[in-house]
Amino acid sequence: MSPESTASLKEKMLRIISRYPRKEAALLPLLHLAQREFGYISTLEEKMIADILGIKPIRVREAVTFYTMLNRKPLGKYHIQVCTNITCSLLGAERLIDYLKERLKIEVGETTPDKKFTLSEVECLGACEQAPSMMINFDYYGNLDKKKIDDILKSLE
Amino acid sequence: MVKIFIDGKQVEAKDGSTILKAAEEAGIQIPHLCYHPAFAPEGSCRMCMVEIEGLPKLELSCSTLVREGLKISTTSPRVIEARKSVLEFLLAEHPLDCPICDKAGECKLQDYYEEYGFFESQFKEEKEKKSKKVRIGKNLILDQERCVLCTRCVRFLREITKSEELGVFERGVRSVVDIYEKDLIENNYSGNLVDLCPGGAITDVDFRFKTRTWFLRSKESICPLCSRGCNIFIQYHPGFPRFELPKRVYRIKPRENPEVNGFWICDQGRYGYSYLDENRLFEIVQNGERKQEEQGIVKEIAEKIRRMRYANRLKRVAVILNCWLSNEELFLAKKIFCESLKLEKVFFVDPPLGKGDDYLLTEDRSPNRRGAKEIGFSYKPLDFNALQTEVELLVVFGPFLTENFILAEIKSVLDKIETKILFTFKKNDFLRFFETVLPTAHIAEKEGSLVNVEGKVQIFNQALEPRGKSLPEWKILLDLAKEMSIDFNYYRQFSSPQDIRREMAKEIPFFENMK
Amino acid sequence: MEERYLTKLFGLENAYRIDIYLNSGGYEATRKALKEMKPEEILNEVKRANLRGRGGAGFPAGVKWGFVPKNVDKPKYLCVNADEGEPGTFKDRYIMSHDPHLLLEGIIITSYCVGIHQAFIYIRGEYERIAQRLEEAITEAYEMGFLGKNILETGFDLEVIVHRGAGAYICGEETALLESLEGKRGHPRLKPPFPASVGLFQCPTVINNVETLSNVPLIILNGAEWFQKRGLPKDGGTRIFGVSGMVERPGAYELPLGTSLKEIIFNHAGGMKEGKKLKAVIPGGLSAPILTAEEIDLPMDFDSLVEAKSMLGSAAIIVIDEETSMLDVLKVVTKFYSHESCGQCTPCRVGNSWINKIVKRMVRGEGTREDLDNIARLASNILAKTLCPLGDAAAMPILSIVKKFRKELESHLRE
Repeated sequence: MSPESTASLKEKMLRIISRYPRKEAALLPLLHLAQREFGYISTLEEKMIADILGIKPIRVREAVTFYTMLNRKPLGKYHIQVCTNITCSLLGAERLIDYLKERLKIEVGETTPDKKFTLSEVECLGACEQAPSMMINFDYYGNLDKKKIDDILKSLE
Repeated sequence: MVKIFIDGKQVEAKDGSTILKAAEEAGIQIPHLCYHPAFAPEGSCRMCMVEIEGLPKLELSCSTLVREGLKISTTSPRVIEARKSVLEFLLAEHPLDCPICDKAGECKLQDYYEEYGFFESQFKEEKEKKSKKVRIGKNLILDQERCVLCTRCVRFLREITKSEELGVFERGVRSVVDIYEKDLIENNYSGNLVDLCPGGAITDVDFRFKTRTWFLRSKESICPLCSRGCNIFIQYHPGFPRFELPKRVYRIKPRENPEVNGFWICDQGRYGYSYLDENRLFEIVQNGERKQEEQGIVKEIAEKIRRMRYANRLKRVAVILNCWLSNEELFLAKKIFCESLKLEKVFFVDPPLGKGDDYLLTEDRSPNRRGAKEIGFSYKPLDFNALQTEVELLVVFGPFLTENFILAEIKSVLDKIETKILFTFKKNDFLRFFETVLPTAHIAEKEGSLVNVEGKVQIFNQALEPRGKSLPEWKILLDLAKEMSIDFNYYRQFSSPQDIRREMAKEIPFFENMK
Repeated sequence: MEERYLTKLFGLENAYRIDIYLNSGGYEATRKALKEMKPEEILNEVKRANLRGRGGAGFPAGVKWGFVPKNVDKPKYLCVNADEGEPGTFKDRYIMSHDPHLLLEGIIITSYCVGIHQAFIYIRGEYERIAQRLEEAITEAYEMGFLGKNILETGFDLEVIVHRGAGAYICGEETALLESLEGKRGHPRLKPPFPASVGLFQCPTVINNVETLSNVPLIILNGAEWFQKRGLPKDGGTRIFGVSGMVERPGAYELPLGTSLKEIIFNHAGGMKEGKKLKAVIPGGLSAPILTAEEIDLPMDFDSLVEAKSMLGSAAIIVIDEETSMLDVLKVVTKFYSHESCGQCTPCRVGNSWINKIVKRMVRGEGTREDLDNIARLASNILAKTLCPLGDAAAMPILSIVKKFRKELESHLRE
């Protein structure tokens, strides 16, 4: 990372911290920011965030390993997160997972060799009225079937 | 105070106390794992549940405060069932490690399992696999599968040492305790984690696989490695009849004392017990030969001192004492050397100062400097070199010369002194410079009292048997006094440290409450 | 057609923009509350309206606010629970994306009532796009003087911050939410003390669900009696019922409390999808004990569901058809709770995982009668013995499924 971008990242972080009555409360927003910037949270980011918040790096890792949306390893450009909870499961989520595994040629939890797609199973996304649903990065897609999935995958560059 | 009922028995409980504390004070033990009196209640193990009349759910005794008229049952069928269920859950994901686990014999899981029924396991699934040998500290190994996530260790490092080396990673049944990267626990209180862990998750490298806990006997003593005077248990193996063990003392454990060391001891004291058994002197050596009788030697020394007294040459006698001596021994030494003999040259040579921490470990590495002060000794600077011309009889107590002077200097000074006597418990390089060396018992092997850095007088009892020819200094001093025949009527009234204590209580206001 | 109040603006294009919102009568409630009413009056009105929490627990909002100590030296906080993790639930997503200003008004009025000057909206991390919309709405509100310093010239200051979660159902539990907001793992706290006295950063804190707060402006505008009449005397107002599963028209339906479950499924949601037969209904989010097809003739309100040994919870209605295997439903339930258990307390941490392992074995065809008995036994060992309600949220549906569909589950056993 260039010194300028490190500085501007630090500025962003300080600005976030200033909105909270206690510095430590900014941990999750800083982790989200770091993940957006670097794709995942490595030891470097843990130490940087710990430093800026004045806490020990172990406290940062405690949080990173607790929350499912925070990744310690890099993911593909598009993180396909398919809901397998109750309603989506009732409406065929398993079949969609199988279809995606077939199309992308990876298992759940894996990333395609061209690093474009990662496939995950997640819990309820809060989009039950459009079940079966999935989230790619932060975008929701509902009322899925094989055709829709094909269209969506095609549209992702 | 509030009046409550526990299992039908009326109990007076302190206002603001928890049910668990109140029960403990009334002699009723409620099983618990995550609760520890040093920390705020955690409420996560769920073992300490009790039934309270009028409340639909079972409540935690570790965090529920007492109220006037509360009726509590710690043994109702509902409570027993609940405890069994918590135990069952804990054991379901617990590895069957007892045969190789150091904690066996002092493990809370084993104890509670025995108490609550030896039930058959209904768990037919695969247990969670985690790391079984994580080196988390210079002295500590963590087995994550054995961990019941009571988080006592995490909280100790957060609240007591404030060094936060441990944390909980992952979530749910995959939760593990771990260090960060390779940041080992290296603070001076790491050993306490082994005591804190209710099971065998955190074990001591020093003790690992050495022996079984049920072979060990536990005796009370006081740690002499600094002036805090932490209360300890010395745990030793009495030996097997048919073969010799490599060790006598296997470990030191803290003994709770809210006025001195609280619940803890430092690692210096915990792991520094080699002085108890290693490099010990067990024989009387005179002129290079082994002698049998202490009595004879003492008689000789007494004779020499008497002759020098008649010849008015007592200013050519020097005595070196130390602050590892007990109050009784220092009192006798003062009486004999300073008052009966009126010697001027009475000095102290102690282990040099070390680095203290802000908590228990003091800079002063002797246990009884305060005692020496209260008994009336004043610090006299020692010109060790000058002794070679000023002294013809030197009596030294303790092995600490080499910790303060280099060997060559000691040799050159001692060579010029005609008669040199050494009383010590340790085998040392400079022993051969003394004609007469007598072995002494150290604090764990005798009885007496010490005064800690804060002025607290602590009486200690004998924990271990002295070995070989070693004798406690108070016995040697008493024999010497009686043999010298100076103020004989005074010294003849003493035959034990208790007698000396009684006299000290009469004579010195600081010790008036000591018995 | 039922009258809509909460969802009045759903479907109106761009209703999330403040100009559209103002044109439809928005921020009138705020004006009335801040300029014409005293905090005690607002509190009384909300109490009298019997507004019960719409997050799941159903605790009366006015009573909760009343627990906040009046004269303390510490700042007070409001945490809006927008974590919406209860499976089947999506109503808060609707409110925040279609009508964020309604929520903001609720936040402003509540804060004014309790004496709060900083409010946090704890929104689940997956709702990133919704969080962005909320932030836009907040910016608009600041610009129009409805947030910030000296709101509407009344001297009242209020700051609102959107705080994203990062994927943990447990953070919907109020004390876990506080822990998470403080920058730690979402481990629930022991209660007492309750957040009203010891909450965020040890300060008095009010925590309310999105839908609960969104009702506050309606109560202020129309009064407590009006609100009660929209529902039932003890359960005032309407609820947004989220219907999903095997129905023709899954979606969000605002209906009075007390509406019949049967009516919701078969009238409003269009009945069973593709003519399938109804087998079971989960009436209040995954944590609510399941109802069989014979048990759906009941009014949807807090007390009626408690009587039916279930709960209204988040009013998320999940409709299950005859072709669905209850073993699969059990599998989803146990997988969810073992995955979401925070791991702090023994029964939930081990119990949920253990039950999940047994169910997985049953799905592989290796289950026995003993296993079913064990599942029920273990679930009752979790019930009422955990540090937080997640244990109960897991145990109750598991027990209800094993009890009510025992015969079917037995048909999956290895024999």
